[in-house]
Amino acid sequence: MKPILLQGHERSITQIKYNREGDLLFSVAKDPIANVWYSVNGERLGTYTGHTGAVWCVDADWDTKNVLTGSADNSCRLWDCENVWYSVNGERLGTYTGHTGAVWCVDADWDTKNVLTGSADNSCRLWDCETGKQLALLETSSAVRTCGFDFSGNIIMFSTDKQMGYQCFLNYFDLRDPQQIEDNQPYQSVPCNESKITSAVWGPLGEFVIAGHENGEINQYSAKSGEILKTAKEHTKQINDIQSSVDLTMLISASKDCTAKLFDSTSLEHIKTFKTERPVNSAAISPIMDHVVMGGGQEAMEVTTTSTRIGKFEARFFHAAYEEEFGRVKGHFGPINCVAFHPDGKSYSSGGEDGYVRIHYFDPHYFDFELEA
Amino acid sequence: MRDTDNMEAEMEYDDGEEPSFSDPEDFVDESDQELLGDVLRDKPQEADGIDSVVKMSHLCRYMSISDEWEAPEKQPFKDFGNLRHWLEDPDCRDQYSVIYDSGERTGIFANDVKEPIEVEERARWTETYVRWSPKGTYLATFHQRGIALWGGEKFKQIQRFSHQGVQLIDFSPCERYVVTFSPLMDTKDDPQAIIIWDVLTGQKKRGFHCESSAHWPIFKWSPDGKFFARMTQDTLSIYETPSMGLLDKKSLRINGIKDFSWSPGDNIIAFWVPEDKDIPARVTLMQLPSRNEIRVRNLFNVVDCKLHWQKNGDYLCVKVDRTPKGTQGVVTNFEIFRMREKQVPVDVVEMKESIIAFAWEPNGSKFAVLHGESPRINVSFYHVKNNGKIDLIKMFDKQQANSIFWSPQGQFLVLAGLRSMNGALAFVDTSDCTMMNIAEHYMASDVEWDPTGRYVVTSVSWWSHKVDNAFWLWTFQGRLLQKTNKERFCQLLWRPRPPSLLTQEQIKLIKKDLKKYSKIFEQKDRLSQSKASKELVDKRRSMMEDYRKYRERTIDMYNEQKPLRLELRGGVDTDELDSNVDDWEEETIEFFINEEIIPIGDL
Repeated sequence: MKPILLQGHERSITQIKYNREGDLLFSVAKDPIANVWYSVNGERLGTYTGHTGAVWCVDADWDTKNVLTGSADNSCRLWDCENVWYSVNGERLGTYTGHTGAVWCVDADWDTKNVLTGSADNSCRLWDCETGKQLALLETSSAVRTCGFDFSGNIIMFSTDKQMGYQCFLNYFDLRDPQQIEDNQPYQSVPCNESKITSAVWGPLGEFVIAGHENGEINQYSAKSGEILKTAKEHTKQINDIQSSVDLTMLISASKDCTAKLFDSTSLEHIKTFKTERPVNSAAISPIMDHVVMGGGQEAMEVTTTSTRIGKFEARFFHAAYEEEFGRVKGHFGPINCVAFHPDGKSYSSGGEDGYVRIHYFDPHYFDFELEA
Repeated sequence: MRDTDNMEAEMEYDDGEEPSFSDPEDFVDESDQELLGDVLRDKPQEADGIDSVVKMSHLCRYMSISDEWEAPEKQPFKDFGNLRHWLEDPDCRDQYSVIYDSGERTGIFANDVKEPIEVEERARWTETYVRWSPKGTYLATFHQRGIALWGGEKFKQIQRFSHQGVQLIDFSPCERYVVTFSPLMDTKDDPQAIIIWDVLTGQKKRGFHCESSAHWPIFKWSPDGKFFARMTQDTLSIYETPSMGLLDKKSLRINGIKDFSWSPGDNIIAFWVPEDKDIPARVTLMQLPSRNEIRVRNLFNVVDCKLHWQKNGDYLCVKVDRTPKGTQGVVTNFEIFRMREKQVPVDVVEMKESIIAFAWEPNGSKFAVLHGESPRINVSFYHVKNNGKIDLIKMFDKQQANSIFWSPQGQFLVLAGLRSMNGALAFVDTSDCTMMNIAEHYMASDVEWDPTGRYVVTSVSWWSHKVDNAFWLWTFQGRLLQKTNKERFCQLLWRPRPPSLLTQEQIKLIKKDLKKYSKIFEQKDRLSQSKASKELVDKRRSMMEDYRKYRERTIDMYNEQKPLRLELRGGVDTDELDSNVDDWEEETIEFFINEEIIPIGDL
């Protein structure tokens, strides 16, 4: 494996995302730029400059026409991707202005008609992707932490933080009913009494949202009634990240309790556990092999007390069926914040606290490798 | 895992336990010379020829002795099984105790190369920490009410000693007696700060006052357990067992005595006295019980001395810090006493740098010294030869070390930079002074050799560092075998082994036939390896089968749901990356990959 080192950020990486075809890799960090890289050789194709605050999240729509970024500079921006092969200008298509606080999350529906953003200014906003017009402003009592469109793009969910005396809520809006938007009345608002939601993804068919909580619980919230359909109390500490498999049938949760766990999305049956000695920040499921990759490390505060020679900042590969670690990839000088598999499963990337993104293409050996069985 | 909370109830010490009415043979006089201070103005000393002293208030006890003698009730025999059971392990695995969960859990494990085998594990087995007895027979645990001893195959409770607020304990080398200290219990009349107990009967043998527990153990034992001694201001008091009375009924007056220690091999005490006016400082070796001074060594301009005995008592090293006349600085000498030679000759080794650590090779005649000042720390190896010379065998410089750990069998040692030196480790073979391996266990706080000298454990204790608490197992050559993480791991202690029952001749014979035995052991190892492999392979096979079945079910469901997905996305198929081929445009692009310049040579 010859890793490709992407040096384009000056501060820690917050998120990395492949586009659906996998030829492009987007990276965003606490510095106010978003970068797009050609994933086959790490050539930087463009930079999306314009944000003035940390960029927390990025997503590309399903046929990579557009890229969305959400930032702490209170804006969410849409960028045109189409010309990225020919020009390195990262021509900016538009900006969604309106937020007055850091944008924590962004999502686009599956054919990029609408954009949803959630912000620390206590609002969730819906935008028309093409015109940039704000379609809806949904005010909340506290910062919006996660948001997303369901599989069909008709229903949106977002969760609010537990702050200033307000609880954490999970809200559902049906976009086909304008009355809900006008009255700022979600058809369903689910209070989360004990522990706030830290990460959430939609289920495979839009019937429920799977949310990870600060106390380590994972709950399935029905999109119809809002009630908890299933619960998994397997983790003992905060869930840091939840990612779905490419077919949305499984999900992997990365937790501060030093493990990552594999669940069935529909039944929330706990299938596998992968144990390490450090908190896990992010985990991903390989699209083609029975492998999972995990990244983590210590919390930023404690980083200075760890010897870098120990190499705890490694991406670790586990066999999904045997739960055994079979490989590690060193290289990061700080905790790994985000890992992602290329959609074709032939490479993976990791973004770290050190500000670097590393793309690794697997050796042929990786695909033949088998643990004795 | 058993909850030992109930033990608290069991610990109820029968107060007001009367001495049995019949006069047992070893009846111990309970009063101490200090008791009488307020009863008699002139404290009668045992040295004054008084045989035993009885307090008036105790007199009534003797008055009320019944004329009829009742035989004491026969106690049912408590069978604890074979207290040496762990030595019979067919694979000769040594045990170690592990305290983790910040003290909540204590476990006993057997050391196996593959992974530790749990023997016993209990919650709240001890309230603070644990100690093994010197020959490994007992595990001592600490509780508010006192000490409990556990042993045998199932670690049953064998004995308990009621000493409220106990903080420290010490065993006699023969394991017959245990000494406990508590700061709570002392009263003027009834010395209870330090108590000496008989392990087998559980009886309290004698109590003592104690001013300060700073240098524990206060009482030091002779190697055969016949004597124990302590030092107070200008006094050395030596007691004998089993009477617990002063040897020759009097303490020794040694003006200015600063420190003493027993030889680990013989009943000899070494002590030193600093300079007094024009009498130089001196180190004295005294034979017990005769109290003959077999050697006295005068030392000049002494600032401080430290006594280091070699494990068998073959040598004594006195580290002397001196300020030579006319200088300001402090230099260090090692005065090496050759105990096995006539007249105990003394050789001096001068050290140029300040000393960080010193350690004798157990069972051998080498010693290692760490000297210098960070960052330039050096280690020197010396050999005390028979011909009266002490040779410097080798010196390594630029070491990251602040402690020396010899293997209990000698020859091998580990140099460790613990705590502030981040856990640097060096494994040395002193037969030819080679570095076998240099390694690191980041933030290691402790190093413990197993009693056989085959394995070393380095650990990061939660008591000194709050993350990465774990213990690592290495071979004596420095090859890392295992890493065991334990949540809030605190302490690991190997269980000591009693001395071998084999004679020197038998050991020689075994060493001669070692090749034969090695073959048998290697075969055994290979068998167990392949057994482990087979187990692992079987386990994996069944895990994969289960996983495959699960995936099949899920994929079936996924395929069934396809119409739903199409419906949700208005008929557009997004299942595969290439599902939507119609929507694709094909473009051919050329881009620069590489440039290669090939010179065609001179034509």
